[in-house]
Amino acid sequence: MAYLVRNDIVQYACTCGQLRPISFLYFCRHCLKLRCGFCVCHEVESHYCSNCLEILPSAEARLKKNRCQACFDCPNCLNTLAVRGTTVSVRDPDDPGKVNSQKKYYHACFFCRWTTRDVGLPDQAVQTVSANGWAQKNTSNVQRITVLLEHAKLLGMLERHEREQREKKFTARFRRNFTHLPGLTAAHVRKRAGLPPELPAPSTIKVNLAEFQPAVAKETVPELPTDIFTKELDIGTVTTLTQRFAQPETQPDSIEGLLPSYKHLSTKQSQRCRECEHNVSKPELNPASIKFKIQQAAYFYVPEVRIVTLEPLIGGKPSEVVIVFINPSQHPTTLSFITLQEAEEEIKQHQTEGTTDTAVQQGEAPLSLSSLTKPVTVVEEPRPIDISMTGEVQLPAADVEIVLPPKDDAAEYDDSGEIQQFHDDPKIVIHRRANKASLRFTVVPKTDIAGENCVIGFAFRYTYVNRISTPAIATSEQKPQKVQLCTRIFMNCGKILEGTQ
Amino acid sequence: MSSISSHHDAKPKHDLKIALHAIVCHESKLRGDITIGAHTIVHPRATIIAEAGPIIIGESNIIEEQAHIINRLPPGADPSSQIVMEIGNGNVFEVDCLFESTKMGDQNVLEVKSHVGREVEIKSGCIIGAACKLTGKEVLPENTVVYGRNCARRIAMDKPPIQTLQIEFLTKTLVNYHHLKKPRSANS
Ligand SMILES: [Zn+2]
Ligand SMILES: [Zn+2]
Ligand SMILES: [Zn+2]
Ligand SMILES: [Zn+2]
Repeated sequence: MAYLVRNDIVQYACTCGQLRPISFLYFCRHCLKLRCGFCVCHEVESHYCSNCLEILPSAEARLKKNRCQACFDCPNCLNTLAVRGTTVSVRDPDDPGKVNSQKKYYHACFFCRWTTRDVGLPDQAVQTVSANGWAQKNTSNVQRITVLLEHAKLLGMLERHEREQREKKFTARFRRNFTHLPGLTAAHVRKRAGLPPELPAPSTIKVNLAEFQPAVAKETVPELPTDIFTKELDIGTVTTLTQRFAQPETQPDSIEGLLPSYKHLSTKQSQRCRECEHNVSKPELNPASIKFKIQQAAYFYVPEVRIVTLEPLIGGKPSEVVIVFINPSQHPTTLSFITLQEAEEEIKQHQTEGTTDTAVQQGEAPLSLSSLTKPVTVVEEPRPIDISMTGEVQLPAADVEIVLPPKDDAAEYDDSGEIQQFHDDPKIVIHRRANKASLRFTVVPKTDIAGENCVIGFAFRYTYVNRISTPAIATSEQKPQKVQLCTRIFMNCGKILEGTQ
Repeated sequence: MSSISSHHDAKPKHDLKIALHAIVCHESKLRGDITIGAHTIVHPRATIIAEAGPIIIGESNIIEEQAHIINRLPPGADPSSQIVMEIGNGNVFEVDCLFESTKMGDQNVLEVKSHVGREVEIKSGCIIGAACKLTGKEVLPENTVVYGRNCARRIAMDKPPIQTLQIEFLTKTLVNYHHLKKPRSANS
């Protein structure tokens, strides 16, 4: 499946101007626009460990430096370490003649076969190793780092203080308005006014700042080993940069210094449309679940386009390209084709409409009050599409409409061959099956660029049934609305061949 | 593989020697002068082709499905010359690996889809990781581990353990579901 849609042969233009395959796009059902990873807000939903699947609240995750306290990463290849058990025989301390067998555990990597025994870490008596002193071995800098962090915090406070002093004129009025209310503390007022909590007095900050001891440059550095220029270097014992960066506290230059590090936590993220602030994707919280609460992928709403067959592309010569259009939605959709220029003009028109009244979007009723209370969202200017066309495509006339039936999961198993009548022009539609239609297009590659890829672009309109009823329109119209949307498509049809004549 | 079998037809030498207690499934493809040591398991659909000369496989090896052990003639070599491939004891050839070298020591593991070229000599205790390809000319020192996408290397502390339990298990189970090639010494 992934290889069919996850390639850059057919790319859709996102509302923001990015080109993406359909599997990389979201479709916001509220503003009826395509969204890509660049034009949605990514929010962290939960932190979890991908090895033991434990969820951590974000505050706790921050406290633990976004690492799981029970799982370890291989310092050699950065994969997860596994626990292995062995039985070792230990001489009984009370009775020297007796030998006891004992279960011991150590960590090993299944990928590069690194083990904790390689660096001389002792085997553990318990299976769940934590805080056993591996990772905390070299913590000499921890104190200094805390001091530096504290210092940076104080500097930040001082700066904020100065800024607030400057803005006092404006905030003073604000405070007066609230402080007369009973039961409100100063902290409450600050919170309601959207200000950060009260700062300590600048004098105390300055006293604390004075206590800070800056770093002192030393002239004495440790000597290099005497044999550094004479001893032959065994490259196998030197750590790679990746390995050193994975262990920033010690940054060992020899593989003997590699220590297992706590496993990094993973996050589950939700994506939010930047314009209307609705979620376009929201995963289930449970780390073991791969399902979504909300998943508005473009793949479920926007007709999918694939190339079926191609005639050899020769510069300046028309060749036939068969493209299949697939309707993924539960409603029939009507396709019609327009050129890129027409589509761009249409988009521009929508934008100018949008700036006059942001609430009116493609036939939606004004959202009246709710739009006033909503925070102002910044609508970014879409960037121009960065692709050069190396072929012309001849589209069917603009009034040719192709109706695609809705997706029916059972149709795949239905061999009855029930043929619906669509009154298609057989010159355009060459094949139909269920929710798919194969259409014939003519492509004329440019001349004199043999060997380059033939890139064509066009746009198509499709009807979309909007089933989301906003409170404002729910009262006036109960019916789901039919709207016409437009999507721009760019296709890489492959190499242009040299003309034979 | 078609080119190999055609080569082989030109050299009509079917000398299969299977030691006692070895398990060689009938569906395996064995061509040419091959000696298989005791307790060695050859799974169905494993391929061993002795084209350039005899292949001598030691004891307690596991040769899994789709594994290819091929003693190939180097390009441009005299077809009448004899090159002997020697494989030691306790090695594991995992699914779809390709081994073309002529010398292997003991207790090595060729992981899934790995490839060891003709000019790589493997000592003992080496692990060639999944999908790692070694095609140059070199001698792998003992306990070398090749792993990851970039075929990174390191020297391990110990050799991988011998798969005694696995061999015992396979010896018991494979007979129940597959026909075996009969043990046979060179003279019989
Ligand atoms: Zn975008
Ligand atoms: Zn964990
Ligand atoms: Zn590792
Ligand atoms: Zn939206």
